[in-house]
Parts: sequence; structure tokens; C-alpha cells
Amino acid sequence: MTEVTNSFQETQAVAALLAQRLVGGEFVALIGDLGAGKTTFTQGLVAALGSTARVKSPTFTVMNIYDVPGHSSIRRVVHCDFYRFTKEEELGALELDAYRGSDTVIIAEWPDALPTVEWNPTYIVKIEHAGENSRSISIEDGV
Amino acid sequence: MRILAIETSCDETAIAILQGTGNDIAIEVSLVRSQIDIHAAYGGVIPEVAAREHLEMISSMLARTARADGEGIDAIAVTAGPGLAPALRVGVEVAKTLAWAWKKPLIPVCHLEGHIYASWISSKPPQFPVLALIVSGGHTELVLMHDHGNFERLGETLDDAAGEAFDKVAKMFGLPYPGGPAIAALAERGDSKVFHFPRPMLDRDDAMFSFSGLKTAVLYELRKNDARIHDETFRSNIAASFQEAIVETLVEKTMRAAGKLAPKSIVLAGGVAANTVLRDRLKEAGEHRGIPVYVPALQHTLDNAAMIAVAGYYRAQHGENAVDPLTLVVNPNQDI
Repeated sequence: MTEVTNSFQETQAVAALLAQRLVGGEFVALIGDLGAGKTTFTQGLVAALGSTARVKSPTFTVMNIYDVPGHSSIRRVVHCDFYRFTKEEELGALELDAYRGSDTVIIAEWPDALPTVEWNPTYIVKIEHAGENSRSISIEDGV
Repeated sequence: MRILAIETSCDETAIAILQGTGNDIAIEVSLVRSQIDIHAAYGGVIPEVAAREHLEMISSMLARTARADGEGIDAIAVTAGPGLAPALRVGVEVAKTLAWAWKKPLIPVCHLEGHIYASWISSKPPQFPVLALIVSGGHTELVLMHDHGNFERLGETLDDAAGEAFDKVAKMFGLPYPGGPAIAALAERGDSKVFHFPRPMLDRDDAMFSFSGLKTAVLYELRKNDARIHDETFRSNIAASFQEAIVETLVEKTMRAAGKLAPKSIVLAGGVAANTVLRDRLKEAGEHRGIPVYVPALQHTLDNAAMIAVAGYYRAQHGENAVDPLTLVVNPNQDI
């Protein structure tokens, strides 16, 4: 599906549609230029799962973990950002595989910073600038 | 009391020893081994995932700092979070091992508290209550510190940290990482009144920040002026106008909080505390209100273990802050 949004609230509403499809165990690849609204999208997704966690950009922290207390099958969201990564080897220390599990959703910003990694995403979300306040958001099934 | 402190939350491996009696504290040793130079050799970008490097460096740094039997050390302080789990784990596991082997108290310290305590290192202690502005790549927060160990978070960024906005604007200019100092240098030659960027959240009467929209506003200004992107005057004016928007927002929000809470001192903390314009403007605004503003020495704005030692020293005054060395685990998302 592709939606055009005209405010951050509308972007978060599209994220909520994706949240409805999640059951746990998914890997969501989030692709978009600087300022496209990747963190805004994640805020909408995490809130729609019923979490009150304070979702912030993980560019410097690399990985933020949010508890999802009220959901029937998802316990946590792992929010990663590979913006600062340059080599696949750097990924090892993150121990990302240890976080993969049926009660966890991983949502990753800038997976395209490491083009050689096979992420095998469940969903691929692409956000593009369509004007100063409008964005084109596409959500596709991954592998 | 003599404290050994260890900090490995990011890409600096750091060890320090503090000697203290009451409010009389002295840093005897402070070693910081940055990985910036190591990673620069590979192309200039600092990967945050650097646990292996910590592991390689920490033993030799320890051997230069403390006796193998721990004699002369009364407690061990270690950064337990926030930070990257594998990096934090190196320091925490070393600290646990030493505390267990030496039978000395183990004091976990929050990295953000440590940044606030950087202002205790080289000046007389700020008086409580302290209003602290923490600004770094990963954090932008206003904290009210009522007393040692008693912190109240007043507000924080809802999206990007101020340091991150600096870095991403630098990226838009094609400047190498880390871009904050490069933007500040460009801004020095620019006119901050040429472009008017939004002062996010100034319309809200609280202590929350938001810098994502400001970053996007700069992006659109650059897109509109595509032909001038390599023009030095244009670049300097953008950098100056952008920096002005950030500094004004940070200073104004801090002063509003100061007006409401009447702190006895204001402390600037975190990596962006190295920004000269921010340091000067916050000091000026504090003086105007008659509140002393403490800014850390430049070398203490970056990650170091001296600040962790000070935080650990004050925590160690209360036995209940010591934890069982067998059970301490890192907390990558720790809050103040």
C-alpha cells in the first residue's frame, strides 16, 4: 500500500495501520532520507501497540528498547538506527539476534546504510518527501 | 575515601581515581582512551559498537592505575547505563570482578548524572538546588537536582537530541562525522540573522524540546538553494542561523525553568557543552538573573571517568547505594 500524508499525525496514523498487522517476531525495515519522518513513524507505531514509552531518535544510542505492557502477544519493541554504521562487522557487537523472538518487534532505521546485510525484513516501509509537509509512505511485504 | 571509576558506555574507555573528604575532592588519575583515532584510520566514522576495543584497552589501563590487590581503593564506581549494552558490559563486568575479588562496595552510576557532576571536578561545588541542562548527541534534558542522588527530570527532547541535529545538518553539508564542531566553526563566520529557522517548542510552557522539525527546516532551505550549496557565505549563514535557533531554544527553555524553580545554580552538561556560543550565552543569561552558571572544563564535556568518580563518590556516602557484584546488570536505556 502507498499513502500520502500531510502532517505528522497522518504519518502516525499510517504507522498505526501497520501496528495492527504485527503479532511479534517481525523485522520492519524503515527507509527514508534525513527528515523524512522515520522516528515520527516509529512513535506512531509504538503508541498504537499500546505503549507509553518515550520514543526518541536512536541515531546516537543505536538501540532503544520500549516495553509494550498491554499487548496480547508483543512484549517489547527494539528500535535500531544504523545511520552511523559503515561496515557489516560493526553489527556483531549489537547482538541483534539475541533480541529476535516471537514477543519482540524490531524496527530498524537506515538498514540501507549496510547494503551487504541480508536483513530479511517482514515489512519494508519507505517514506519519501512529497513536499514540505507531505510524505509518501509505502508499506510492502518483505521476504 | 578513594574511588576507582570505570566508564565504557560509548567509544571512550576511561578510568579515574578520586580522593575525597567531605566536599573536598581531587582527581588523582584520569585516563581516557578514545577510539576516535582508531576508527578514523578506517575512514573517519566512529562506530558506537566498540566493545572489543574496550576489552583490549581496559586491562592495561587498570594496571597503570590501581594495585592488583586493590589496596588503597575504598569503592568502585561504574557506568551502568545509558549506553550501548555490549560496550557498557565490558566496564560493568570488570567492575563486578574487582569489587568481588577486593571485597569493596560496587556503586553503579548513571552516565547522565556523571555528566552533571563534571562541573564538580574543577570548581567549588554548585549549590543546590541545581538546574542542569544536559545536551549531547543522544540526550537533551532539563533536570532539577535537589541534592546529591536526588534528581528530577523536568523535560527532554521528544525526538532528536540537539547534538544529533548538529551532526545531521553537518551531513547535509557533506561534512565528515562528527559534525557538531564543524558546524560551530562555519557558524563563527556567518550571520545568524539571514535565515529564520523555527525555535521549536518555545510556544510550549514546559521543559520539552524537539529538534527534528528544525533539522527538516534546514534541509528544505538547502533544497531551495541548491545552486549555492558550495557558496561559503551561504553555508556560514545557514550554520550560524541554525546554531542560533538551537542555542536560543536551549537557553530560553532553561531560563524559563529557572524563573519557575529558582535554582541556586545552573549546570551545563554533555558533549554539546563544548559549544562556545552555548557556553557564553547560558552564562550571560544566568548572570542576568543572578544565578551562577557552571560549565565543565572542555576536556570534561566529553565522556570521561573523572565525572563518574565524582558521582560515585557522593553515592558511596550512603551504603544502600552499593549493589551485589554478582547481580549488577547493565541498563542501556537507563534514565536519570
